[in-house]
Amino acid sequence: MIHLENVSVEYRLKSERVQALRNLNLHIREGGFEAIMGPSGSGKTTLIQLIAGLLTPTAGDVIVSGENLRELDDQQISAFRNHTIGFVFQFFNLPSYYTALDNVALPLVFAGVPEHERRARAHTLLDEFGLAERVMHKPDQLSGGEAQRVAIARALVTGPKIILADEPTGNLDRETGLRVMELLQKINRERGVTVLLVTHDEKAAAFAQRIIRIEKGELA
Amino acid sequence: MIRRRDQVRLSVQKIGLRKKRAAFAIVSVALGVIVVVTVNSLMKGVRDMVVNTTWTEEIDKDVIKMYARENPYDYALSEEENKQKAKKRFRFLTESDFETMRGWSDVEAADHPVTVQTLSIDAFASRPRPVTQVRGVPETMLRRYVSNPALLAACSNAIPLVIGERNVRLRMNEKTKKLELAPVVEHEAWMGREVTITLGDNYASLPRFRFDYPKREFRAVDEQDLAAQREALERNYRSLYDGTIFSTTLPLKARVVGICPGNEVLMPLDAAVLCEKWIRQRNQLAALRPMRETDEAVYGSQGRQTPRAGEFSEGVVLVKQGANIEAVAKKIDELGFYAATRARTFENQARAFDNGLRVVKKIAFAFGAIILGLACGLMWSTTSKIVSDSRADIGLFRALGATKRDIRRLFLGESVLLGVLGTLTGLLLGWALAAGISRWVIGFARKAAFDPEEALLIPDSIFSYNLQFCFLLLAGAAIVSLLAGLLPANRAANVDPVKALKRE
Repeated sequence: MIHLENVSVEYRLKSERVQALRNLNLHIREGGFEAIMGPSGSGKTTLIQLIAGLLTPTAGDVIVSGENLRELDDQQISAFRNHTIGFVFQFFNLPSYYTALDNVALPLVFAGVPEHERRARAHTLLDEFGLAERVMHKPDQLSGGEAQRVAIARALVTGPKIILADEPTGNLDRETGLRVMELLQKINRERGVTVLLVTHDEKAAAFAQRIIRIEKGELA
Repeated sequence: MIRRRDQVRLSVQKIGLRKKRAAFAIVSVALGVIVVVTVNSLMKGVRDMVVNTTWTEEIDKDVIKMYARENPYDYALSEEENKQKAKKRFRFLTESDFETMRGWSDVEAADHPVTVQTLSIDAFASRPRPVTQVRGVPETMLRRYVSNPALLAACSNAIPLVIGERNVRLRMNEKTKKLELAPVVEHEAWMGREVTITLGDNYASLPRFRFDYPKREFRAVDEQDLAAQREALERNYRSLYDGTIFSTTLPLKARVVGICPGNEVLMPLDAAVLCEKWIRQRNQLAALRPMRETDEAVYGSQGRQTPRAGEFSEGVVLVKQGANIEAVAKKIDELGFYAATRARTFENQARAFDNGLRVVKKIAFAFGAIILGLACGLMWSTTSKIVSDSRADIGLFRALGATKRDIRRLFLGESVLLGVLGTLTGLLLGWALAAGISRWVIGFARKAAFDPEEALLIPDSIFSYNLQFCFLLLAGAAIVSLLAGLLPANRAANVDPVKALKRE
């Protein structure tokens, strides 16, 4: 499903060269639930940015669903992100001026889906996640757990094959965090969506079938 | 690919998030548009009003009016021309000049006109403009306006008169006692009518009608008011004239034999000379002054200002039918006199008005362009600010599948929307302002109208709108705002989503 072959990422910070990832080889199977753990600055987030096609590796290839991301142009990579990837962020990243429904429907706007269909699909997902009462609420009217569930619904709305969750419990209390992890696990099991979780939290990582540890840009 | 409808919706939402800044950009665009739209909405109306209320038919198409000192129909002299005119020494027209002109093959008659004043014509009392003077012109010229020669032949015991008609005829509605516009054919009713000219009638100049400007109608002055005016006139004149002589008048029988353009009443030159002499003698007798042919000569920078006997400050030339009037006018120019023809007068009026119009337009459009330029800068800075404030959203949108093109279109849409909203606001406010100015100008013009007939011709509004111009303005605004938004939109499209998401 996801292949990383000799992937290196290097960037400049002022005059210093920083190697975020070095010669990384990784295979993640379809339908897996894998956690990436490592200390801060180890390259975890860089890894999921590579898989999402937000970042191009300095060397090596990232192949997702048979597509070498390096070979895709802007239009293709945007379509790839829209259809194949679902993002869940630590701080939810829900624009405050949209309602929960609009936030969930947002990726469908970029897919060119008509409004009535967008709303119907967003509604179904919010219903499924127990947020039917919160449909017209703005993010600041939602609790942390509710906001993260809205973010997960948004990640799922285009029917992606992969969910990239970057510290999804980092901004939640323990109990709410566990519920969010249960939801991700349920999505992985019932929908067959590959979940790649970046976390510091051992308890969250325990939900994964495999834990990948990274240190200084290399697999530990 | 984002749908167009969604793109507009997202742009509107983004503008809604920065209401103050967006309002500022919209207002500044609107200000520039208001200036341009106001000027554009009024120019045509003002031009039409001036053209309609300016009498261009005062000079008949076959007639050249000549002036020794200056052409009163020359409205558009430049500063330089005015300076030259002030320096130019002039000479009065003499009988020998008229004799020369009569010798030209294209000229039918040339002579000096004589103005007879003060007098009244009884039948004209029902017209709003008092007739207080009659011009004596060569008989050939008078005959030009006579449609039925039999009428002239029937004038053995009456002075033939040609009355001036403008393109507005007025008639008194006896029931309502109001004057109203009459059908064009009505002036024919004057033909052959016998009237009495009362020479020396100083009461002739008393206005018998007053124009009710707000209602745009004439009202006959009541007898009491007329008597009060008459008494005031007598009181003022008594110090100048002996009362007996002042009230001495001479009634003369006259007959209307033709209609001429303009505002004049014409009679044959010979009759006018006699009438003028009678009035002059009466006035001199009243003032107990010795009879003198001319007043004492006055000199100025252009030479002698007062004509001697046999010299005239103006003249009139009638050209033959089909002749080239402008060629004759040019010959008169070469003799050193000012020649006014209908075409020249019209050109002068148009030139004077267009000069003024051009200056107003230039100022307005320059002002509008400056404001629009500033607005363009402001739109650029607004869109830039929106882009800076939206980096996190841009990162998110890119992560959710927006292409660079989607992001560019989104921000260009915002810029164009601001421009179009500003232009629409400016259009509406500009029209409202123009309508307000129109009302004010019309009110002022009616109050300031010199002539009642002119007041009737003043339209109810000088406001007009040109849809083609509006579309051009909107298209222009869209292009300008598109240009203003291009750089910020490109910057937005090139925002690195990784860096933008890190800000989260």
